[in-house]
Amino acid sequence: MLRAAGLVKSYRAPSGMPIRVLAGVDLAVKGGELVVVTGPSGSGKSTLLNVLGLLEDGDGGELWFEDTRVSALGRAARSQARGRYVGFLFQSFLLLPSLTALENVLLAARYVGRSGAATRRRARELLEEVGVVDRMDHFPAQLSGGEQQRVAFCRAVLNDPPLLLADEPTGNLDDENGAVILGALRGRARAGAAVVVVSHRPEAAAGASALYRLRGGVLESS
Amino acid sequence: MVKPLRVLRGYLFTILGIAIGVAGLVALGAMSERIVRFIEGGDRFVLGQISVAGRGMGMGTGFTAGGLLPASAIRAIAEVPGVSGVQAQVMLPLDPSASQFMTLTQELILGVDLSVPMPNRHYRTLPVRAGRALREGDQRVAVVGASFAASRGLGVGGHITLEDESFEVVGVLDRMLTAPDRFVLVPIADARAQWVAKDRLLRTVLASGGVALTASDLNTGAAVGWQDGNDPDAVALRIRDRVPGVNVQLPSELSRLLRSSTAFFSALLAGIGVLAFVIGGLSLANTMAAAVFERIRDFGVKRALGATDLQLGREVLAESLAVTLVGGLAGVGFALVLGWAIDGSVARAQQLFHFSPRLLGGALAFSILLGAAAAAYATGRVVSVSPAEAIRRGT
Repeated sequence: MLRAAGLVKSYRAPSGMPIRVLAGVDLAVKGGELVVVTGPSGSGKSTLLNVLGLLEDGDGGELWFEDTRVSALGRAARSQARGRYVGFLFQSFLLLPSLTALENVLLAARYVGRSGAATRRRARELLEEVGVVDRMDHFPAQLSGGEQQRVAFCRAVLNDPPLLLADEPTGNLDDENGAVILGALRGRARAGAAVVVVSHRPEAAAGASALYRLRGGVLESS
Repeated sequence: MVKPLRVLRGYLFTILGIAIGVAGLVALGAMSERIVRFIEGGDRFVLGQISVAGRGMGMGTGFTAGGLLPASAIRAIAEVPGVSGVQAQVMLPLDPSASQFMTLTQELILGVDLSVPMPNRHYRTLPVRAGRALREGDQRVAVVGASFAASRGLGVGGHITLEDESFEVVGVLDRMLTAPDRFVLVPIADARAQWVAKDRLLRTVLASGGVALTASDLNTGAAVGWQDGNDPDAVALRIRDRVPGVNVQLPSELSRLLRSSTAFFSALLAGIGVLAFVIGGLSLANTMAAAVFERIRDFGVKRALGATDLQLGREVLAESLAVTLVGGLAGVGFALVLGWAIDGSVARAQQLFHFSPRLLGGALAFSILLGAAAAAYATGRVVSVSPAEAIRRGT
């Protein structure tokens, strides 16, 4: 499902010196696999996930979603590819504060041309699966961190994306809620999605198809 | 319905900011419009007739200035080729102790010879809002201007006292936003009596019997009309040549004089208008752009969910149009309430604001277009960074 070859990414320090974060990352994740990437803070885990998810451009290398070389696509096509192929789960949830929980979930359908009663029904089912359907009319500020992340999970999977990218998804959660979210991610992998999780929590590695450590800008098998 | 209202509630402070900017723009514009209407009304009046007064100095005021214009001069003017009609007039300040400079608040008594039709091509009649116009044969009755009536709480059937004489109000004029708003129109015989009562020198001269004057000689001026196909300035010059002892104002000269005397106000108002335009516009554009920049994280999230630049642009444009429309309408409403409150209390029936449809429509269109342009600019800036960067900056 996902294939990355020689991904390179540098940032420019305030002094103007380039800081190489990714120095030729190769990664392949098939549907049904759950890959966990670990590494210390500042090692470039989030940058890797952003580049894999087309949230920012790499400086070099190639990226493929299925048979499509998405690293060569233009802006509009990359946006469409994000909506079609990728579901994101962020550490800070990133729910829109002006929308209710249900509206936040449905937001994922808006930009891929899905709407209607079936989508709404599916969103409610997902909220029910993760145990927050009774809070669907609440705004993010009225939800706990665990509830917000469950809503964010529903948003990430509403379109059944073949690729799920999770950046420290349990970083702001207690153990109980963290276990729910990790369990849900494993469930998506079992259902056939390719799942990449970036985390420094050891329990994230449980049930992983592969475990990598990002060191010096490259992935090392653990 | 609930969701759009919620979206607008999220923009509450933006809407308030826009409303204040638009209110300032509309209020200043309405004051400017008010003055413009006054000047245009005066200009239209002086271009509609040839104004003639007697040579010298006297109590005549308003558009004519000069000394006594006797009946013989009026008859002579009527004989000049090209003249279609001459209407004797008496124009007096209501309060002679006040300055006679033409101001926005000057109140005048105007007596007109009702046996002659109004020669002014642009004001054949004055529009009456209530009651009736003056008729030939009327005595001790008055038709009052809208501001004059409002400032004294006068209506049809009411009475005003002028130099100890009581006049019944038989009509109230429509608000014209120009000089007649403060006129008291009376039959010319009554105006002549007012002149004699107000002017001690005139009383002394008449009592001395030293000059042969009849009542019909007591005119401060005359409005002269011209026949179709004649050039009014040429007719005025002909009067000047053929009738001795008169001051003749060429319509075009008087118009130029009026415009030059109000040029300072016009320039001042143009400056205020430009300032209002720039300050209000900048405030509105800044408020709208800031509202978009504040949502940079939301845009990052939406792009992560697959939104294209076009989809986001459409969304922001729709929201900004709604926000500026609501803010603009609120601003217009606020300015209207403010204007009416000031006109009704502080200005005491002297209308200071004129909210013309072109002003209100223009202000609304201006705010919507500028708001949309500012939102489009801000959106362009926001989508120029990567979704990851947008999320980072907004978190």
